[in-house]
Amino acid sequence: MAPHLRLNRGIVLAALLCLLPAALFAQNNGGPRMDHENTLPPTPTGPTPMTPDGHPDLTGLWNGLADNLLGVPNQMHNVGIEVGPDSTRDIHSGVQIATWPLQNRQRQNNEQNERAATLLRRMGSNRPIYKPQYWQRVKDFDANSNEEDPSNNCMPAGVPRMGVPSYIAQTPTYLVFVYPGQGGLIATATSYRMIPTDGRKHTNIEDLDGTWNGEAIGHWEGDTMVVDTIGFNSTSWFDQLGGYFHSENMHVIERFHRDGNTLTWTATVEDPDVLLEPWTTTPRVALLNPDPKAVLPESLPCSERDFAHVVTKEHH
Amino acid sequence: MPLRASMTKEIARRALLVAALAALAFQTAAGQSNESKAGAGTKPMAAGAASAAPVSNASDATKTLKTAAEAIGLARWSGVGGQRLPEVDVVNTIEIWGSGTTYSPGPSSKSGDPWTAFKTDYHVALGYNPPAMRVEMTRTSSAAPAGGAAPLHTIEVVRDNYAWDESEIGAGLVPGKGTATPAVAAANYRFLQLWILPYGVLKAALAAGDKTKVSTENGATVITFPLSGQLAGVTVKATLDAHNEIAKVETRTDNPALSDLITETEYSAYADHGEIATDVLSPGHIVRKQGGHAVLDIQIKTLDANNPYLVFPVPENVKKAAAR
Repeated sequence: MAPHLRLNRGIVLAALLCLLPAALFAQNNGGPRMDHENTLPPTPTGPTPMTPDGHPDLTGLWNGLADNLLGVPNQMHNVGIEVGPDSTRDIHSGVQIATWPLQNRQRQNNEQNERAATLLRRMGSNRPIYKPQYWQRVKDFDANSNEEDPSNNCMPAGVPRMGVPSYIAQTPTYLVFVYPGQGGLIATATSYRMIPTDGRKHTNIEDLDGTWNGEAIGHWEGDTMVVDTIGFNSTSWFDQLGGYFHSENMHVIERFHRDGNTLTWTATVEDPDVLLEPWTTTPRVALLNPDPKAVLPESLPCSERDFAHVVTKEHH
Repeated sequence: MPLRASMTKEIARRALLVAALAALAFQTAAGQSNESKAGAGTKPMAAGAASAAPVSNASDATKTLKTAAEAIGLARWSGVGGQRLPEVDVVNTIEIWGSGTTYSPGPSSKSGDPWTAFKTDYHVALGYNPPAMRVEMTRTSSAAPAGGAAPLHTIEVVRDNYAWDESEIGAGLVPGKGTATPAVAAANYRFLQLWILPYGVLKAALAAGDKTKVSTENGATVITFPLSGQLAGVTVKATLDAHNEIAKVETRTDNPALSDLITETEYSAYADHGEIATDVLSPGHIVRKQGGHAVLDIQIKTLDANNPYLVFPVPENVKKAAAR
């Protein structure tokens, strides 16, 4: 590759990685700001509003942003690494992880920052257990994700990789989820889901064309909204990191529980074709944007231009 | 290239440069703010610093372990939004490929030596959370004539107090896919291999807390601590080199029942041996002795420290065997 192309790519990457969080906060209309001194989930405050039919009202802007855009702290939270001021814990295994207070550390260049970020967001223990014949395939996908990731090139992230919706609208018979396009770990297109909650059943899976988001139906289990989805293509990966492919028989059960101004989301992936056992994401906790006038900013058109200039297998 | 297009690209390039500089200024300012908040100025401890005191206090041990953890890229933080987070231990899973020589008790027919040497291909998958290790070796006797004895292929696994041998990787988990043979008696020795690697030493020394001591021997920094859990009764002594990398690890025990856990391992030629760069350094050469005999001499070809997908589910028959 010509040196000027490397330089341009480096400049683009540095600009995007460094400016993105600041730019997104600016778009957040004064909404809640992630506390970057830890990765602990936000503490719920305030009452949980209820709809006239007696269910928690999930309507609102949650984080106001796609939940992987806020850099390392949010990504570590998503994989279950709770970093406090003096201690760190893997909440899946309960293992305490060595932690050194923020002081006396050497400066790092962007390359060092990126490599450390990659390790930090991949250190969690909560990994799906594939059948042994697929272990090498997962490793290969993961190691070559710069080329293999199906969500690169502005394709959808798919369910459940898209995570917590940035906006939820709730009616008595539908939920509408909105996921702005992402430009962080992967460049994906804006996506939406319309989820019936009127008691209907799934279409026979044989009659479904597999899609990125599948066919979802929702129902309440107590105060928890359960969204049950089938009918996927086998193109997407089901988590942000790791090369976690799946079959067309994947079944995803998402759970949304509102507590005051927080929304806790988990997804359980069942895929007996490739997994030894069901796998459940580490709970992600989103915070409600308190500004009643807040709106989602328009996502910029997704246009992947760096892809052709990738020269290493390093992850970003 | 048309002039207009060329100028547009140049303008775009300059705009990006300005944006990048602005971004860096933003990040640098944040970093300076954090440093002033936390305080700065402590010098990193130099390995081998002469000291009259043979044993340090807890604070010295903490500093030494931090310096050693940073030296091999185990203690990390990132400026990608994480500049206000503390440093943490980022090493969980690692995969290693190497080759060299291993030795087993038994007379060599060629040399008459009481131990037999094997040319060995060495492949290790390991994790610290949960603690587990899978060692795959293909060994050919150095004494065998060319085209003689078939290579011996073994896969030895340990996870916590479970140990088993696999006929193929992941055997015993899916019907019809290989067999997993319980190896309960081998659990402690296999487990020890995990904790005497440089990453394991630092993790275990940190976990030992106040029981970890630092001293100097012949000008070199030495870390001493007891192992715990199923390896309780074993003491580890790790010697740092001038770069604060772990150069030598010795394990000792007074318990005769654990005598097979007395080992001595030398690590050298540290570098980032990953195909995907991680800034995690690993030894390029490992030499281990047990009971005074060389048992392993391996050159590392590749080491993937990028927390790769490595899992160690325990087969049901292995769980049942351990429960008996």
